[in-house]
Amino acid sequence: MRRSPANESPVQNVREPFDSSHVLNGLNVLNGLNESHPLVEIRGVSKSFHKTVKDSTTEIKALADISLTIRKNEFISIIGPSGCGKTTLLKIIDGLIPYDSGKILIDGKQITAPGPDRAVVFQSFALLPWRTVLANVEFSLELRQTSKEERTKTARDYLKRVGLADFENHYPHELSGGMQQRAGLARALAVNPSILLMDEPFGAVDAQTRQLLQEELLELWQRERKTVIFITHSMDEAVYLSDRVVVMTPRPGRVAEILDVPLPRPRVSEEVRRDATFVDLTNYIWGSLKKAMENHH
Amino acid sequence: MNSRIGTHVLSLLSLAALWEIAGRAMNSTLIPPLSQIGAAWWKLLMSGKLLANLSMSLTTLAIGFSLAVLFGIVVGLLMGRFRAVEHFLDLYVNALMSAPTTAFVPVLILWFGLGVESRIAVVFLFAVFVIIINTMTGVKQVDTVLVEMARSFGAREREVFFKIILPAALPAIMAGLRLGIGRAVKGMVTAEMLLTLTGIGAMIMQYGSSFATDSLFAVILTILVIALLTMRAVQWLDRRLTGWKAEIAIE
Repeated sequence: MRRSPANESPVQNVREPFDSSHVLNGLNVLNGLNESHPLVEIRGVSKSFHKTVKDSTTEIKALADISLTIRKNEFISIIGPSGCGKTTLLKIIDGLIPYDSGKILIDGKQITAPGPDRAVVFQSFALLPWRTVLANVEFSLELRQTSKEERTKTARDYLKRVGLADFENHYPHELSGGMQQRAGLARALAVNPSILLMDEPFGAVDAQTRQLLQEELLELWQRERKTVIFITHSMDEAVYLSDRVVVMTPRPGRVAEILDVPLPRPRVSEEVRRDATFVDLTNYIWGSLKKAMENHH
Repeated sequence: MNSRIGTHVLSLLSLAALWEIAGRAMNSTLIPPLSQIGAAWWKLLMSGKLLANLSMSLTTLAIGFSLAVLFGIVVGLLMGRFRAVEHFLDLYVNALMSAPTTAFVPVLILWFGLGVESRIAVVFLFAVFVIIINTMTGVKQVDTVLVEMARSFGAREREVFFKIILPAALPAIMAGLRLGIGRAVKGMVTAEMLLTLTGIGAMIMQYGSSFATDSLFAVILTILVIALLTMRAVQWLDRRLTGWKAEIAIE
């Protein structure tokens, strides 16, 4: 675990702007992640909202010229201050809302609507309160015309993977926030998407649960081999989980920096968080965010 | 729950005792003792008069309320779902909701005559607006995150409506039915007293004007019991359909 070159030369690496080619090589070797095949290509995407207050319409620029290429099976985090449009970007990638200009390609094809290759995990869990946990996980499968037996079988399987096997007949309000989000994760995984879109999924749970869920997510990701686009405003969460961290500026949201995380995997939470690379990178991101926010004001 | 039923029984028994004592002490036809009312009720029941009138009244109630539920839910859903429909209709719905429905009785007589159709129309008008408004509010208050979630998993309009909006609005719709059944009972009795004298409304008018107070109270108590029972029936249905909501409320 401690044999990686990235671990031995952390400080200089981090203080300087990143030499991504150098780190990227190291990363690929470490992860055995040789498919650098681009899965999601975001090219110059912009988005404005129109807000009407008392007959006068103002245009709010949410995203400006976002370009980002995400590799297959990559874990990428998007971090930025509130109002930087990161959730908007996620919804655009999901196909829930249209964008004004630019292009988004998934596997080379332009997206126009939600598709079976993507699934979202929502910040507020978005579980149906009138359905049991099992029926909630089955919901995503129902919309894809799977047979009843198959749905139940698949849903049970994923509930087991997120550790909720014994709670399938509970209603969401009977579960803690952490358990509700596990159900939300199971619902997303059940449709077997290649891309998991996570919108501040652990933002609504307490700190201890949050850390636990992060570890579980990494374990799942390692086993399931999915591409994860993870929205967060927590710097250590972004660094701990990701291969790369995208730092965004406040309104209009632009890509300020894209940083590689040269920490070896599998990452053991307690060790990683004490690692000098982790600490330096977290501090560096804080500096970058601070700069972006100061420029804004 | 059990202590609640116990308290209910205690409350009813004390009221009955108080009534009996007061009635005997005053020895007036205006407040007959409860035992005398009970005897009058038994007589009405045995003569078949009470049941005959009651079945007539309840038929009106059932038809009028069913129409109000059907029409109210459909219109409420459309108003909640489509902004244009809401803006097209909300003026009338709000006006008719707060207007005294009794004022329309003469118009209904002109339109439908003095038969059962008019009485059904009165019950319908008493109940329908509160059902429309509750249904519409329920639809509009559906958490947009849930709709977004469904769309994100590929739900089409139909699926969004039947799998998200309808179940999410159900508690509000049921609250509308609960308020509606109360108003429907009021409409039923009002129609029978103001239109042709029929059903239990007619019995009230008849015994009231002939000072047959024991029979009068017997009929009034019967109406109270019916109001309570119909309300209970709707509550039972509500609990069957939206039990999940009740449990959240308790927490």
